[in-house]
Amino acid sequence: MAKTDVTVRLGGTAGDGVQSGGELIARIFSRSGLYISTYNGNQSLIRGGQVWFHVHAAPWRVSSLGFGIDFLISLTQSFYNEHHQSVNDGGYILYDASVVKADDLPAGVTPLAVPLREIALKYDKRPIMRNVVAAGALAAALGIDKKVLSEAVSQQFGSDTLKGNVLAGNDAYSFFHERFGVIRKLDYCPVSRPFMTANEALALGAVAGGCRFYAAYPMSPASSIVHWMASHSKSLGITVFLGEDEISVINSVIGASFAGARAMCGTSGGGFALMQEAIGMAAMTETPVVVVDVMRAGPSTGLPTKTSQGDLNMVLGIAQDDFPRVIIAPRTPQESFYAAGRALNIAEKFQVPVIILLDFSISEGGYSTVDALNFDAPIDRGKIVVKGETNGVWFKRFELTPDNVSPRSLPGTDGMMFVAKSDEHDEYGHDLSDVLSGLKESVKLRERMYEKRMRKLDLVRKEMSPPEFFGPDKADLTVVTWGSSANPVREAIRELRSQGVRANSLEFSDLYPLDATKVRRILQGCGDLLGVECNYTGQFSGYLKRETGVTVERHLLKYSGEPIYPVEVVNSVKDALAREVSAVA
Amino acid sequence: MAFDSDVKPDWCPGCGGYGILASLKSALTGLGLEPRNVAIASGIGCSSNLPGYIRAYGFHGLHGRPVRVAIGIKSANPSLTVVVTAGDGDEYGIGFNHVINAARRNDDIKLIVSNNSIYGLTTGQASPTSELGQKTKTTPDGSMIYPLNPLSTLLGAGATFVARGFSGEPKQLTKLIEEAVLHRGFALVDVISPCVIWNDTYAKVRSAVYKLEDMDYRPDDQVEAYRKVNETPGLPIGIFYRTESKPTLQEMAVATNGGMKPIDGVRNLEKREAEDLMREFY
Repeated sequence: MAKTDVTVRLGGTAGDGVQSGGELIARIFSRSGLYISTYNGNQSLIRGGQVWFHVHAAPWRVSSLGFGIDFLISLTQSFYNEHHQSVNDGGYILYDASVVKADDLPAGVTPLAVPLREIALKYDKRPIMRNVVAAGALAAALGIDKKVLSEAVSQQFGSDTLKGNVLAGNDAYSFFHERFGVIRKLDYCPVSRPFMTANEALALGAVAGGCRFYAAYPMSPASSIVHWMASHSKSLGITVFLGEDEISVINSVIGASFAGARAMCGTSGGGFALMQEAIGMAAMTETPVVVVDVMRAGPSTGLPTKTSQGDLNMVLGIAQDDFPRVIIAPRTPQESFYAAGRALNIAEKFQVPVIILLDFSISEGGYSTVDALNFDAPIDRGKIVVKGETNGVWFKRFELTPDNVSPRSLPGTDGMMFVAKSDEHDEYGHDLSDVLSGLKESVKLRERMYEKRMRKLDLVRKEMSPPEFFGPDKADLTVVTWGSSANPVREAIRELRSQGVRANSLEFSDLYPLDATKVRRILQGCGDLLGVECNYTGQFSGYLKRETGVTVERHLLKYSGEPIYPVEVVNSVKDALAREVSAVA
Repeated sequence: MAFDSDVKPDWCPGCGGYGILASLKSALTGLGLEPRNVAIASGIGCSSNLPGYIRAYGFHGLHGRPVRVAIGIKSANPSLTVVVTAGDGDEYGIGFNHVINAARRNDDIKLIVSNNSIYGLTTGQASPTSELGQKTKTTPDGSMIYPLNPLSTLLGAGATFVARGFSGEPKQLTKLIEEAVLHRGFALVDVISPCVIWNDTYAKVRSAVYKLEDMDYRPDDQVEAYRKVNETPGLPIGIFYRTESKPTLQEMAVATNGGMKPIDGVRNLEKREAEDLMREFY
């Protein structure tokens, strides 16, 4: 079967324009009607080191980095040395012979020497436009219309350098076309697809969902959310607060929410660790709050520019004692858009903290797999009242109600004053240990208040989506996965299917609270189970076992900092099935 | 009084907290404020129980964090009067980073610190303002650390209103709180408020205090204010420094959020706005 997709990896040192070159390639593809997934192979530095940008594109919905590398574009010798052995049989290496010595080529790989530097120097004193030149050559190799190339270049670069860039790109295109002709052609169409990261999609979804206060402390890979919010704050009317630390961030969000703003904040694991105490306070004071944890590889400061799904245990066990929390782990940018609005609604309707778990691979990787987004999602602010029961002094803010959700009043409302209490309290918000300490009534109230908070989860559970199957209905093996890892798994399932292997996947995106009975039934109805996630201990499988009693026996666990590749899933599934067969034999 | 609560303070008899509570209530009443438009945030400790004892909106949160909750409230709804009441452990210890930054940014909140130079509710450990040589449970041989001077530190951080009161001088304290509330921007009222159980310094304080307004002192000179807040052995009380020359963070936010109050803006995007936003992604 002819390949209908293409994978490209552009690499060099930081400062070579790898990021913008990669984005340009992505833009060229998305303007050609292709679906794309990208990934930044970053290092945590501004200049030097080794960085790369990987693009997977096809006329069908790609969702991961794909299989291997079809086109390697190398701007440096060291990048060549590191990556050329990963190029697929039948693949190509595009390089500048004056910079890179392309030796030790793997079998079936064709070198394509293009004078990237020479062409770039024609249009600027420095060879900075090598990225555009490389993209131009690639566009020619893939038989993409030259017009698409110039449009994409125009869109990417500012007006001061625009002309040179367009000319350099076109020059490289012509050079390649004359020298090598069209090497491969995909199914292009004149549809332009939106290209965004999960962080951008989430920010969009948040403002579409009525978010009007966003706070953060800079931390990779969550920073692009606050960057987006800040650059749109004026036109959209969002108050953006950059705190002195994550403690200040979460406490400000809680204050803003208490005052009546739709508020959220974002961070990565290290910052989330600092926020935990306050998230407990949000639950105790029943103040709505949405916190985004964009996971990176840890522990501690870990690998700041690499991916991981290692924060699950932390968010399952935030802060002291038990309190209600909601955890959503969107699989894609598309889902991140809707997750933000949902999270804000759930937080306000049930007055609980909601945590959205993203990770580096989707929040910094770009995707053009987003469909038309619905910006008119419902906004549900829950029980905000202007009249309620008072004792003439205080409003019963923590009233015990049949559904366990109390009406809340906002500061400024006449006669409805209350104290939001982080200590255990009565219905008015008076401190139990001070006012009723040691009294029987206080013991009962403590229990009832505790139950009231926890039982809100029964209502939330009804709003949570069950896990979703992908692949054939009948399967010998089911891959159990969550969040962004569902993406490479999907491509693996497709590949396995083409190889005649009966496997499917079960993808979780709404993690907590879980309908344990339903999930147990689903899991028990599956064949063999293979857990796939990006952490060392299989945190999600551990959680599933605790909730449902079902053990996921085999695992593909990745903790290198790199995302899971579909080929790894394919191999694991085959391995698991082979072992099963030999065990039976 | 409109600000009266039905919950009586559980402070020890003679606690400075009573003076602060009374002064705060009469200041808010004197300024003609309505309880519904006042929000008081506090942290942890004896003094932080105060929001329950005054009829207004209150947030009794975590140790060291009330300043940040207060800033969230003020940023979301700038029409509210937002006050923080907490102790020296809260504001000069665990949460001092937030206080410094609030001063630097001129956040429009009013910080009233009950300063007794001891951790009271945890039964008497040394605090950031404990005196050199002060004997506490954690410094049985006397503290060997110089105390923090919150007033000079916050002057250095750019605070636009720095005052010191004494819980034994409720009349002056009322005036100081009134001035703080009226002030355009961040205001610190450090209140010497002895702990009658763990650090009873009433006699010492009484013999040392004198009022700045009785002197020929004008609180418009920052250099002079530095000199005055560091004065020993006398203990001046009153307004050391005040300037309204700087905009508040909340005033400046108007330029960055399109003039929209976060509490007013909860809405779906208009079709045109959504289309504009999506255009960036093609």
